[in-house]
Amino acid sequence: MLKKGDIILFGIISVIIAFSTLWVYYYRLGGNDSARIAVIKQGDTQIHRIILDNVTEGEKIKVSGAYNVIIHVEHDRIRFCEADCPDQVCVNTGWISKKGEMAACLPNRTMIKIEEGDEDVDIISH
Amino acid sequence: MNRTKKTVVISLLISQALILSIIESWIPVLVPGVKLGLANIITLIVIVFFGYKEALTVVIIKSLLISMLGGRGIETFLFSVTGGILSALVMAGLYNVKKDLFSIIGISVTGAVVHNLGQVFIASIVIRDIAIFTLLPVILTMGCAMGFIVGLAASFLEKTFRKINIFGL
Repeated sequence: MLKKGDIILFGIISVIIAFSTLWVYYYRLGGNDSARIAVIKQGDTQIHRIILDNVTEGEKIKVSGAYNVIIHVEHDRIRFCEADCPDQVCVNTGWISKKGEMAACLPNRTMIKIEEGDEDVDIISH
Repeated sequence: MNRTKKTVVISLLISQALILSIIESWIPVLVPGVKLGLANIITLIVIVFFGYKEALTVVIIKSLLISMLGGRGIETFLFSVTGGILSALVMAGLYNVKKDLFSIIGISVTGAVVHNLGQVFIASIVIRDIAIFTLLPVILTMGCAMGFIVGLAASFLEKTFRKINIFGL
């Protein structure tokens, strides 16, 4: 069922997957895991920067746009907990906590990601 | 095949692609945002039996109808149609570059990968962040698996269609 030319295609695809895996590996590499910052952004604007270890009690943050999403922050982790968009991809991603992880809600152009911390600000709000 | 018959056959294939899209939305997939791409079976069949123009017609009308029926906005339509057009063009190109060089399965897997690459690229523009590319390894691996299954289904379907000469070609 497979033909000769398929080897070329599968070869190219394997190289693409290998490169992307390497890139992700280096993207997540380095720094310490102690001061992780959860960044909430919508489009180009950063709405919140939260140091995850400093969060003591759970907090809910509402982000409005084309749709409304509610983000839930707890000590050590963050997630999209409610969204009124049709696809619910962001909610299904669940909790994220490790550096380099991210969850995104495309219809609302909202993204949360965990960055390496290098600042002593508790919360910056715009 | 005359024009009227062709219009009817293409319309029927579009409705089948639509139904496959609806069915696949009921099937849960492990990774959020990843879809099976069952409608790609129809795109492949159209490429094999008709050509790239007809395949593009099917992809565009299917995406338009699915976003209208699902009550989804223009973003969802643009998102699905760009991936669809990109992968349809690449698959049609591979099929026509040299007959019998690539199998339907190989073409389907490549189509799935191109579809995923296109969507992640569009997503990174929409969300304006390269962090979205960290999804690539998982999405591409899943895409290959789905592409293989879809390609297998399409090549069985192609054999049967040729045997019963369904389009009267």
